Amino acid sequence: MKIRPAVLIGLILVSLIAGAALLASQIAPYSPFQQNLANDLLAPSQEHLLGTDKLGRDVWTRALYGARISLAVGITAVTLSVLIGFSIGALSGYFGGWVDGVLMRLTDVLMAFPGILLAISLAAFLGPGLQHVILALCLSGWTGYARLVRGEILTLREREFIHAARSIGCGPARIIFRHLLPNILSPLIVQGTFGMATAIMAEGGLSFLGIGTPPPMPSWGSMLSEGRQFILIAPHLTTFPGLAIMVTVLALNLIGDGLRDGLEKAEKR
Amino acid sequence: MKRYLFIRLLLFVPTLAGALTLVFFLIHLVPGDPVEAMLGETASTVDKGALRRQLGLDQPLGTQYLRFLSRLAKGDLGESLYGQGPVMELISARFPATVELTLAAMGIAMLLAFTLGTLAAVKKNSWVDQASLLFSLFGLSTPNFWLGPLLIIFFAIDLGWLPVSGRGGWNHLILPALTLGTSMAAILTRMVRSSLLEAIRQDYIQTARAKGLSEWSVWLKHAAGNSLISVTTILGLQFGALLAGSVITETIFAWPGIGRLTLEAIQTRDYPLLQGCILIIACSYLVINLCTDILYRAADPRIRYEN
Amino acid sequence: MRLRLFTFLALSGWMLLPGCHPRNNTDLPRRRLVVGLESSPTHLDPRFATDANSVRIGALIFNSLVRADQNARFQPELAERWEALDERSYLFHLKRNITFQNGKPLTAEDVKFTYESLLAPQSQAPRKSAFRMIEAVEAHGPHQVLLKFTEPYGPFLESATLGIVPAGSPLAPLTRKARLIGSGPFALEEFVPGERIVLKANRSYWQGPAPVSDIVFKILPDSIVRVLEFKKGSIDLLQNDIEPDMIPWLQRNSQALIQTLQGTTFQYIGMNLDHPALKNIKVRQAIAQAIDREAIIRHLLKDTAIPATGLLSPTHWAYEPSVRQFAYDPEKAKRLLDEAGFPDPDGAGPLPRFKLSYKTTTLELRRRIAEVIREQLNQIGIELEVRAYEWGTFYGDIKKGNFHLYSLAWVGIMDPDILYTLFHSGSIPPSGDNRGRYRNPQVDRLLEQGRRVADADHRMQIYRAVQKILAEELPYIPLWWVKNVVALNPAIRGFTPYPDGDLISLKNVSFHGSQP
Repeated sequence: MKIRPAVLIGLILVSLIAGAALLASQIAPYSPFQQNLANDLLAPSQEHLLGTDKLGRDVWTRALYGARISLAVGITAVTLSVLIGFSIGALSGYFGGWVDGVLMRLTDVLMAFPGILLAISLAAFLGPGLQHVILALCLSGWTGYARLVRGEILTLREREFIHAARSIGCGPARIIFRHLLPNILSPLIVQGTFGMATAIMAEGGLSFLGIGTPPPMPSWGSMLSEGRQFILIAPHLTTFPGLAIMVTVLALNLIGDGLRDGLEKAEKR
Repeated sequence: MKRYLFIRLLLFVPTLAGALTLVFFLIHLVPGDPVEAMLGETASTVDKGALRRQLGLDQPLGTQYLRFLSRLAKGDLGESLYGQGPVMELISARFPATVELTLAAMGIAMLLAFTLGTLAAVKKNSWVDQASLLFSLFGLSTPNFWLGPLLIIFFAIDLGWLPVSGRGGWNHLILPALTLGTSMAAILTRMVRSSLLEAIRQDYIQTARAKGLSEWSVWLKHAAGNSLISVTTILGLQFGALLAGSVITETIFAWPGIGRLTLEAIQTRDYPLLQGCILIIACSYLVINLCTDILYRAADPRIRYEN
Repeated sequence: MRLRLFTFLALSGWMLLPGCHPRNNTDLPRRRLVVGLESSPTHLDPRFATDANSVRIGALIFNSLVRADQNARFQPELAERWEALDERSYLFHLKRNITFQNGKPLTAEDVKFTYESLLAPQSQAPRKSAFRMIEAVEAHGPHQVLLKFTEPYGPFLESATLGIVPAGSPLAPLTRKARLIGSGPFALEEFVPGERIVLKANRSYWQGPAPVSDIVFKILPDSIVRVLEFKKGSIDLLQNDIEPDMIPWLQRNSQALIQTLQGTTFQYIGMNLDHPALKNIKVRQAIAQAIDREAIIRHLLKDTAIPATGLLSPTHWAYEPSVRQFAYDPEKAKRLLDEAGFPDPDGAGPLPRFKLSYKTTTLELRRRIAEVIREQLNQIGIELEVRAYEWGTFYGDIKKGNFHLYSLAWVGIMDPDILYTLFHSGSIPPSGDNRGRYRNPQVDRLLEQGRRVADADHRMQIYRAVQKILAEELPYIPLWWVKNVVALNPAIRGFTPYPDGDLISLKNVSFHGSQP
């Protein structure tokens, strides 16, 4: 299987970022919480690779730990969204009828709220806390997967191999998990990759508005919003977290694109 | 077609009702008391109780909900808890600003997308194509809360061409619309490119070419029409994202729109105002979706015949 | 023929007319002043205004019987003098020839109406409870107003700071179409929600018209945008809503004049004295000694504040300078905690002595300060959980007493009677703002006395004693008094910063180059 160079770049980037996140405690020169007020807003130097923030904390260290949060939030939110979306979409698509009607109305209702708005409301009302952020992203994100799964299942439902499975007495659960799921997996993964990118950006946005990851945990989004106050005197505080988000999202998009192209090619064959 | 229209409209109402109900119950089951936030530091219990009674906040939830629905039927969105007047007035004062911003953002997005997308499709695999893909990728990946201040510093301060913030003449619109529209431009560019590429492979294009039409005419008249449909659909879906993204953009540029109003309403627990905002946003979103769905069905010749 | 001659003469006469006028200064165009604000005022009607912006802008539109000066002493405004008729009633003599912005004269009936509409049972005005000591307001003739209180009330003059509206003005919210009429130096011309407020100079103001033509308050929630607009010249004045780190930047990169004035805004840490640890005075003193205020002021606030000793600042007439102060001394703090019965379970290890939650708003600067305080308390073995809430929830929690520690600021402190609302045991919510549940019978007695007594010197003695006790017992931990920092267009003349941020001097402001 030929891998496009772009996808390769994406994979390498993601691996680097994930690796950095996992090994953060080993690589980081300082503690992400260690303050040094007198050394605030220092530009990048040998002691501080990416400089220091307003409280004198090392930006490179915080960026490394921030990778953990971003990736963790991204993966968890997407996984949960996919799980919920899949369940609802599968039930809807497979059983059809009034089940479909009710569930799709529910989906429509939630989709009437632009994602971020719902996420903002939930995060604002539930208060600070990483779990609330994830919950908010999750509840606003599952609808896309539900629609996708439903659509795929509607198409696949009438195929021969499904009829065959039904005729030999397979129950719905078995059919859904054994036969339908493997076929849906690919578009789900593609969508999930993009979803992760969206989740990471959304977390940044929520932190920017002050309702995301609570301090002192360093998340790229909150680093960006903290650093924004100083954009005119210490631009490195916004450049690097913003860059980090951009590169991660870029990498995920590259991978997602590659997967999608690969999928389309596979289908055409 | 008529049947489809009827069904869609029929489904629209319960969806909207469901959205509203969700909003109502969501914000009422939340910590933080609006009466306290509203009356300030030194209010006495008696005053607070009186206000609570007047606003009906002491009634059981069910009663409040029914009151809400009946008022809504009369077109009354209630009064802002913060004493800023009827919600309808507050919203209608700020809604046009968001519409202006959103339309401008869509306009910029479409302009960029069609230009770059078409160029990319026509000159497939050339450097133009790569550049547009790159632009698209970066546009998608750049957070608008990073882009906004950067644009301000570059265009408004260093170059001094444009104003820093606020709403005013057309030059006030450029930076916020650019910030808001970039991610949409990114998505649309690829959309335009891929649908153009797909369209160009269709049979009716071969026919057009066989008829001897110029290459440009083929692209623009025939292929473009098709891509317009897909773009319109995406626009409709992305409209919600635009509305949401406007919260951040409006905050950065001090743009007096609904996005910022919603954020303020959340922060001050102004229930009626928040409900009104979400109602308007959800309504607009659903209406736009409805329209794009109908347009999509009406415009696409293949689907029409399928029906 | 004659008609043509006549026309010619008439026309040339018109042309000559401008030349006949001596070019005096009133012909030069007056300039408009633009002020940047961080958030929109919520109500300009003085009966509704509670937040700082509303009060400050309202003061430009409305006059009151008396007005607090820079030392929190009350000076005559609409009233030229007043006298006590008995220990609960005061007669105010109004100045003559004062008119509202619509030309109608201001009389005692307007004063009576303003107070009565505020205190009416059905009014929802938030300011009502601040005036609950008033029993009646009577008009004795067109220029005499009697204020009667329910009991002898020392701080009676604070009740006379209510802006006066014309009789019959409805209690309307601030909307686009709001028509507010006052007697002050500026009239409300336009209110665009979320965008700007435009005040037009009152040409017939009884103290003389303001030199500027109008004032525009531009609402700019984003701190960077405020600074950039100022640099561009689209705002002329910015007070206090400036990131401390941006002040040197402004000095380097713009022509701005930066004025700094010692302020009265008091930032403090409130504590819940019902909490088992915070109940103990040694614990509170330990916390006070663990916080390095000087470092925070120097690095985070860039010296835009000075360490505070109590609620009343040095410019206040009742200020007591010699109170107990708790300097930064983490070792001493640790010993105090040991003495209080909260030893450190593992010495220098990660286990804390106990945990506390600290609530703050989501404002960036506040969160930064919270982070530093967390770290400093960590050093003495207290684990702090910082929880940032947006204003609505935060305020609700604080008022209910649902907190361990929180930080807030008191703005616009006038009469020291506020100490009653904050520290009297009878003022525990919901009856008052003693949110920390501080109970001290000696303080109670003193505060009650201060409220009854009318003589200023006597009151000063009483409140000085109160301040001494409070500094010892620390129901609040004083942090700092915020300086008033103003960035000005250098062409501006006549602006006087006030310690509490009052913008009243805008009525005297003019631009160099236009007429005085």
